[in-house]
Amino acid sequence: MRLVIFFAFLLMVTVVLAQNQEPSARPTGVLRLRVRVKADDSLPLRGLARKRFFLIPGTLEQNRALVAAIEQQPLTTRDCYYKQHGASAALINWLKEGDCESVYCRSIEKEFVTGSTAVPEFAIAFAKSQKEFGNEEIAREWLTTNLNPDLLDGFYRDRQSVLTALLKQGTLGMIQSVMTDRNGTAYFTDLGPGTYVLSNLIPTELGQSMVMWNCEVQVKAGDLATEKPYLMSNRKEKNVKCVGVEKPKPVCAAD
Amino acid sequence: MQISTEILIRLHLCLSVAVFLPAVDYTKFSHSTQKHQAACSTCHRIPTKEWSRTSTFPDVTDYPGHDACVSCHRPQFFRGARPPICSVCHSKTSPRDDVRFTFRNPASKQQFTIEFPHDKHQDVIAQLRFAHPPQNYNNCTICHASRTVTFKAAPTDHASCFNCHWKSQQPVAENCNGCHKLASAPYVRAELPSRISSKFMHEGGGEKKQHVAECTTCHINITKAASLRGLKPDVPITACTECHNKEGLRQDLSKELVAIDKNRAFVCVYCHANNVGSLDPPASHYLIAERPPLKRKEIK
Repeated sequence: MRLVIFFAFLLMVTVVLAQNQEPSARPTGVLRLRVRVKADDSLPLRGLARKRFFLIPGTLEQNRALVAAIEQQPLTTRDCYYKQHGASAALINWLKEGDCESVYCRSIEKEFVTGSTAVPEFAIAFAKSQKEFGNEEIAREWLTTNLNPDLLDGFYRDRQSVLTALLKQGTLGMIQSVMTDRNGTAYFTDLGPGTYVLSNLIPTELGQSMVMWNCEVQVKAGDLATEKPYLMSNRKEKNVKCVGVEKPKPVCAAD
Repeated sequence: MQISTEILIRLHLCLSVAVFLPAVDYTKFSHSTQKHQAACSTCHRIPTKEWSRTSTFPDVTDYPGHDACVSCHRPQFFRGARPPICSVCHSKTSPRDDVRFTFRNPASKQQFTIEFPHDKHQDVIAQLRFAHPPQNYNNCTICHASRTVTFKAAPTDHASCFNCHWKSQQPVAENCNGCHKLASAPYVRAELPSRISSKFMHEGGGEKKQHVAECTTCHINITKAASLRGLKPDVPITACTECHNKEGLRQDLSKELVAIDKNRAFVCVYCHANNVGSLDPPASHYLIAERPPLKRKEIK
């Protein structure tokens, strides 16, 4: 009897160990996004670069509350945010030139810290940095450390708080996000098979309008998206699977 | 000579402590010691006094001053001609020589891990320099400059952090803990991440240098990585085969799979070094070639 119990125990230990050693191979899929947009009908389609997209588990119906919150959120454009926070016209233009959302977007060259083309906010921060670091080059490269926080990354922080509030809406599982590359391509990998809602959560500024995408997508196990990408656009064209809804930019109270 | 009871008790206590407590090795400094877990600025000055001697930017370039240690370790400081505690910072333990090891000592194990959320930085720094050629387009090169023609370098100091995170943007320079978390045990940081396709050259891609693209074109997972933990080379085979295994263009992958069909000991060398090239090709490679996966041992 004791021998039987011993062997049963041994068998149980072996089974448990074997289970632990073999990781369960979960079949997953890939979603390859290709986002191509037109800011104006006279322009050709171009890849939508550097925009973040979110993949939310569940159907549109299951995420109805979240989608409603996305659609009803108050919108503030980038220019409006900076105007409201007292940014100079020169700073707003500097941001616009590079389609930048914050001052971290691109290097601040010499011409923008001194002389006739200087951006006032940069010039003041540069002067402070010169005193602090005693080195012109470091002062220019580090001048963001002496900028007003609202102009530094306030717009980004505002967007983050909107995102956080939206994502607090009840969802069915982990939300993934990716950013598109220069060509408007992005990948979601290691996805469990099922239905998801693909959304940009915060409308994307495009010319004179703002575009919102909320589409349902199916992910199949083992689909590595090696063939056709999942096409998204703000224009209903051939093969486009997710068409964005465009709204005119809201009026800015600071105008 | 008469010894008082009190002295006997003290002697007994000292011996007991000596027997039952492990001797402290004062040549080893650990941040995990409870008394060493105060705010970093208790000991470290940011930036250190003479940072410009060894650095091009304000940084922590030296060990804390003697005050940081002496306040608790006076007995160890003044023990013998060559106190062991000195060797934590000094390469020579002599009152006539104050030479210190390079800060931080490259020979010592790492005590802190680094937290770096790529996803947040990708958003904040996102560069859109349309006026420049594609190689200047993306922001990864702010931190990952070319180290060799083959690989990119990873940051080794604060240079690429402090120009934003100096004093206003959290985690600021004085908030060491914002990025550096005490590791569960000292460790040796891997010199390089493992390379699977070691023959790939970032600057390559023929005359047109087609490999010079935006980093996220191939590193598809980096924009969603919220920490450095579990970060892995995330380039899918499809990133390569878009050009290297296209009908009418090139068949670099398919050709090597056919070579394995003919000789199961064939080593794939177009992308891989011998150690990787002699393994079974993964299923993803066969999928691209539109063939069912095979193991070498199944080939006769």
